[in-house]
Amino acid sequence: MKKEPSRLLKRLRFFKPLEKYSDGWSQLDSQDREWEKVYRNRWQHDKVVRSTHGVNCTGSCSWKIFVKDGIITWEGQQTDYPSTGPDFPEYEPRGCPRGASFSWYTYSPLRVKHPYVRGILLKFWREAKEQNADPLAAWKSIIEDEDKVRKYKSARGKGGLVRSSWEEVNEIMAASLIYTLDKYGPDRIAGFTPIPAMSMVSYAAGSRFLSLLGSPMMSFYDWYADLPPASPQIWGEQTDVPESSDWYNSGYLMMWGSNVPLTRTPDAHFMTEVRYKGTKVVAVSPDYAESVKFADSWVSLKPGSDGALAQAMTHVILKEFYMERETEYFLEYAKKYTDLPFLVTLKKKDEGFVGDRFLVASDLGLPLSNAEWKPIMMDRNNKMVSPNGTIGHRWEGKGEWNLNLANAEGEIEPLLSLLGLEDEVVSIDIPYFSDGKSEVLPRSVPVKKVTKNGEILYVTTVFDLMLANYGIDRGLPGDYPSSYDDEIPYTPAWQESLTGVNRNQVISIAREFAQNAVDTEGKSMIIMGAGINHWYNADTIYRSILNLVLLTGSQGVNGGGWAHYVGQEKVRPMEGWQTVAFARDWQMPPRLQNATSYYYFATDQWRYEELPIDQLTAATSGKPRYRHPADYNVLAARLGWLPSYPQFNRNSLNLVEEAKNSGKEVAEYIVDELKAGKMKFAIEDPDDPVNFPRILFVWRANLISSSGKGHEYFLKHFLGTSHGLLGDESSDFKTEEVVWREEAPEGKLDLMVNLDFRMSGTAMYSDIVLPAATWYEKHDLSSTDMHPFIHPLNPAITPPWEAKSDWNIFKGLARDFTEMAKTYLSEPRVDVVAAPLLHDSPDELAQPYGKIRDWSKGEVEAIPGKTMPKLVPVERDYTQVYEKFTSLGPLAEKNPIGFHGLGWSGKEEYEKLKSILGVAESGVGKGRPKIEEDRDAAEIILTLSSATNGSMAVKAWEAEEKKTGLKLRDIAEDRAAEHFTLANITAQPKKVISSPIFSGYNKGERKYSPFTTNIDKMVPFRTLTGRQQFYVDHELLLNFGEALPVYKPVLPHVPFNKVENQPASEGKEITLQYLTPHGKWNIHSTYGDNLHMLTLFRGGPHVWINKDDAAEIDADDNDWLEVYNRNGVVVAKAVVSHRIPRGMAFMYHAQDKHINVPGSKITNTRGGTHNSPTRIHLKPTHVIGGYAQLSYGFNYYGPTGNQRDLSVVVRKLKEVSWLED
Amino acid sequence: MNFWSQFWWVIFPYLMLATFVVGHIYRYNTDQYGWTAKSSEFLEKEKLKWGSILFHYGLLLVFGGHVVGLLVPKEWIAALGISDELYHTFAMFAGGTSGLITLTGLLILLFRRVNVKRVRVTSSISDFVIAGLLLIVVGLGVYNSLTFNFLSPASSDYRETIAPWLRGLIVFRPDASLMEGVPISRQLHTLAAFGILGIWPFTRLVHVWSVPYEYLQRSYIIYRSRRKKGHTDLRKAA
Repeated sequence: MKKEPSRLLKRLRFFKPLEKYSDGWSQLDSQDREWEKVYRNRWQHDKVVRSTHGVNCTGSCSWKIFVKDGIITWEGQQTDYPSTGPDFPEYEPRGCPRGASFSWYTYSPLRVKHPYVRGILLKFWREAKEQNADPLAAWKSIIEDEDKVRKYKSARGKGGLVRSSWEEVNEIMAASLIYTLDKYGPDRIAGFTPIPAMSMVSYAAGSRFLSLLGSPMMSFYDWYADLPPASPQIWGEQTDVPESSDWYNSGYLMMWGSNVPLTRTPDAHFMTEVRYKGTKVVAVSPDYAESVKFADSWVSLKPGSDGALAQAMTHVILKEFYMERETEYFLEYAKKYTDLPFLVTLKKKDEGFVGDRFLVASDLGLPLSNAEWKPIMMDRNNKMVSPNGTIGHRWEGKGEWNLNLANAEGEIEPLLSLLGLEDEVVSIDIPYFSDGKSEVLPRSVPVKKVTKNGEILYVTTVFDLMLANYGIDRGLPGDYPSSYDDEIPYTPAWQESLTGVNRNQVISIAREFAQNAVDTEGKSMIIMGAGINHWYNADTIYRSILNLVLLTGSQGVNGGGWAHYVGQEKVRPMEGWQTVAFARDWQMPPRLQNATSYYYFATDQWRYEELPIDQLTAATSGKPRYRHPADYNVLAARLGWLPSYPQFNRNSLNLVEEAKNSGKEVAEYIVDELKAGKMKFAIEDPDDPVNFPRILFVWRANLISSSGKGHEYFLKHFLGTSHGLLGDESSDFKTEEVVWREEAPEGKLDLMVNLDFRMSGTAMYSDIVLPAATWYEKHDLSSTDMHPFIHPLNPAITPPWEAKSDWNIFKGLARDFTEMAKTYLSEPRVDVVAAPLLHDSPDELAQPYGKIRDWSKGEVEAIPGKTMPKLVPVERDYTQVYEKFTSLGPLAEKNPIGFHGLGWSGKEEYEKLKSILGVAESGVGKGRPKIEEDRDAAEIILTLSSATNGSMAVKAWEAEEKKTGLKLRDIAEDRAAEHFTLANITAQPKKVISSPIFSGYNKGERKYSPFTTNIDKMVPFRTLTGRQQFYVDHELLLNFGEALPVYKPVLPHVPFNKVENQPASEGKEITLQYLTPHGKWNIHSTYGDNLHMLTLFRGGPHVWINKDDAAEIDADDNDWLEVYNRNGVVVAKAVVSHRIPRGMAFMYHAQDKHINVPGSKITNTRGGTHNSPTRIHLKPTHVIGGYAQLSYGFNYYGPTGNQRDLSVVVRKLKEVSWLED
Repeated sequence: MNFWSQFWWVIFPYLMLATFVVGHIYRYNTDQYGWTAKSSEFLEKEKLKWGSILFHYGLLLVFGGHVVGLLVPKEWIAALGISDELYHTFAMFAGGTSGLITLTGLLILLFRRVNVKRVRVTSSISDFVIAGLLLIVVGLGVYNSLTFNFLSPASSDYRETIAPWLRGLIVFRPDASLMEGVPISRQLHTLAAFGILGIWPFTRLVHVWSVPYEYLQRSYIIYRSRRKKGHTDLRKAA
């Protein structure tokens, strides 16, 4: 290479003539241009790799990862999403500053680089191993020594993790697993990892391993309180939502408790763009949120009063669009797609009546199969008929499960109201809840009389009940408002005192929303989210709001309906994923546990309840069955409503043996033992050491510092270490069904293992921390509900230091575990799985009429799978775990593949996988497709799913055709030949194929919107009536007065119930509502701890309060505050802003405790997380099961981990101590 | 004439001058991205405003005074009809005032560098060394102009000692003996000043050479050429 001349020489050019132009106004620069190279080099790279971030932000944006000299240098947004089509804004641009900062982690000080073990535990282990090389004996010597156990458990969260090796950590884990399996059973081991859609293969890695052991996986959607129970109640659907581009189809767009620009950053552009089409945008939010800036109207209401606002809007719509004028579009929709024309029986109560259950075919003595499950409507010619499409039709397989208004006898023209045809008008008590009181509203309905077994049943329609509920005056007797200005439920005037919103604003928005739906045939949309979904009564709030889209015929219409965005919940290739993830290719059923119940009992939050259920039930209903929420969970376990692991107070691996000894069939034996009270459900005595959860694997999650509502309860009871819990256990409010032990255990968990790439709060509290690959270091799959694409994660570099992909970590553990099992668990065992009555299965017909019948009280016979959980024996051969882990088992070929009650054969696809992946050469998986790496698992997921494999999609629609008797195949036929592979989605993200496992379809350029298949193609909703239900008639919901949408206030809450628990006052204090919405400079606890984001905002924990509230406690901006209640204390810096209304503190979720958290003066420990002042409140109506759409599905139904009905004391922290002395 | 005299007044000055020249070439060729005044205005503005202005303007005046006093032979001044007394009185007042201005500015800057935390922690050792040397040079300079001149102007007229020595140095005919009788405070002033020259290229002082005088004479619009030597000019090739 030619040597460059000296820079100084190049500079010396004074005598060189300059080239000048334009009369000397311009000149040619002759300066040395070497300096430009620095900038060119900065942006030069060796390769670009497509990957994304698996952070549950719902964005699922595809990114370019740039690599230079083997080092990840930065990332940039991909722009190659397929087009939305002409005359439509593109998906691109997608991305946000948080994602753009991710590569910081790769080489950061927060990176977990090696396997670590809690120092003191490792010391015990090495000592034990020195004395006795037998690993099982070594673990036993530690775990059965109380002193050692206390020492290492109390050291959790206090540093002291030391470097170990993969070999050693695998040995410790394997030994502890084998010890626990043998002593307590597989259900004492559990895994928690959330949101498969954000990295499906990594989820599947651990869940496949644990499922092969027979150990439960924890749900997350309900635990996060992101599950809206209203959705399964109304639609029988977990959640289904439009992709964000469908916002652009909307004519009227409300953002209700969802801060779109902040939490849906890459999607927000569709909302801003649709405004240019003239769409009106309304924001409903207490604070001046980012979303408000984009809105034409701002409804600022009191936090948690959203239900009242929606009830009043419903009142306006019913009155103006159903009563004052009959809107044909709405009425047609109501008759075809909702339960409004269905008949409901009334129950005599005192002088009048109260609503009861649906009238069904068996009540009329109709000669039909599944007659108890076929609700009835009134035909125009005054005849009660059973229409097609109900749940009874769904599970009899005659192809009559469709929404055609007809039955075997012909067409049906349903009536919405009985008024004019009634036998009688009767008075009815409508349950009503004002602050602190259960009341009744005296109203009336027209009824028909039906005679059943000599007894007269009074029936009315759901529509008539709705009008009574909402106080729509039809000249019937009762307490009805005469105008909007009467302060009687549920008028716009009535809501004013609850929400603080002007009645005229309510009226005008309701009117506009409905009128737009009339004008556009349903293009009125409500984007809703966590802001309103994390309340105890979020389900009633949601049902009130969803009235608006149901009554205006907006649901199932592009540009209309609800758009509930919370977690990244949509695993597009669902069937393939669940096959791999829960090892359904080898054995059924997997143990899948609802996490809220698990943590509620494991962290002993149930011992601290203070609000009896009888203060929450309706005045229209008798005394509730139980006063304590925990008792309802026991009921749910016993009746097969909810899963409940740990399962029994005995090792489930021994039950078959025990049964054999007593000469009985195992199911019979278990029933007898339970009935005799000799064996108990573990949940009946959660504080008995026999029933403790023992081992927990946490990966892709920050349980302790992000989602662990009741943080301090976790620290005290679950982990047994220092905590800041200020409340004490209820001494006078006790359980009936759960054993109350005087001494609450501390440190139930023996081993917590965390896989992560960064030292998060969970890692700090874990006993073993394993270095996981980042999202730029492994193969995986990503999809979201926000856009219709599936695209991959790919390794830009191999995992640095000792890090490994989640797949390889669990594969390695499976290998070492299996080796050890050959010595200690060499014989196959039979495990008995107690499985709940499942959603989308014939179990939905288990418990008719929605009546509670408890076999343990002699109310009904104990029949597994009917009145109690199913009891399924499953063989466990622990010496085959590794071989099974690494090959695709026979059931994938033999059993139907499917989801949502649909099944079809995947035989051809299974064969194809053999040639794609090759086959295992030996062992139990011999001749079967082998799974060596994460990318192999990804190929299986893509191949076995209808959304990503055209041949599967066609078969899936054919299966749906058989069920419904409808023509549906054409929806996917044009894409039958497509088969997605990891390679072709790496080339470009691909739009998924329409599948019947989702409720909408996106054929051609149609945007995905939920329930469009139901509306356009007449496929029923997966509910009791087969329609969208305003009325839900389970006995427990009737107890709570929630058969129809109802307004319920926020739970009464004071920071401290007992004066003695309250820390001594130190100067000025203020009590505020405590809200934890999502933050701007973080996604949950990720990104918030990286240097870029810390630099962008405050560099540590912060809490927003109003300037006047701050002035009341003499706090200035940036002062340290202590925020506390009986659940715990968090210390954070004040952000004083007029953006926040008075009376509330916003502590943005999720602020971890590893960066810049000083000590609390009250507890003298480090100042907590955003979850320190929180805890969960278990709502009994969420435990319902075994009844139509209210049957358990993993992440589908079950109690939510809601944490919002709380208040805190806030005061200035005068002296800041970093606890460093 | 002893060795030390030869060393301090011949060897040392040339060593420093050589370092000054070679050092600049070296630094310019190897460390262009570090060639900076290291402005700390971003970190602190108020004190800098006073300190920097006083110091820099004072320095320009002082520099002018040194040119007149040292490089212009005494005889030339006398030839202009300026008497020694007038010269010295003027030098004392004007030089002393300029020196005091410079000193005040320097003290403000130094105080700021030490006491403003964010400036202190972003300072390098060279910043402190250069500031210290400047303090010595300027301090002694002010002391010299205010004391010696006034008390016994005749006994120490630098225009007969230091000035010819310096001019000798410049024309490569150094004469160390000229400096032997010079009062110690002036000797130290001179040596420290040469010391500054010696470390100059390795400090922020290089910014002196980057005064953007170019702006005064360049055209308003600047073009860069994509043409490189050895590359085909595409316009011509077509």
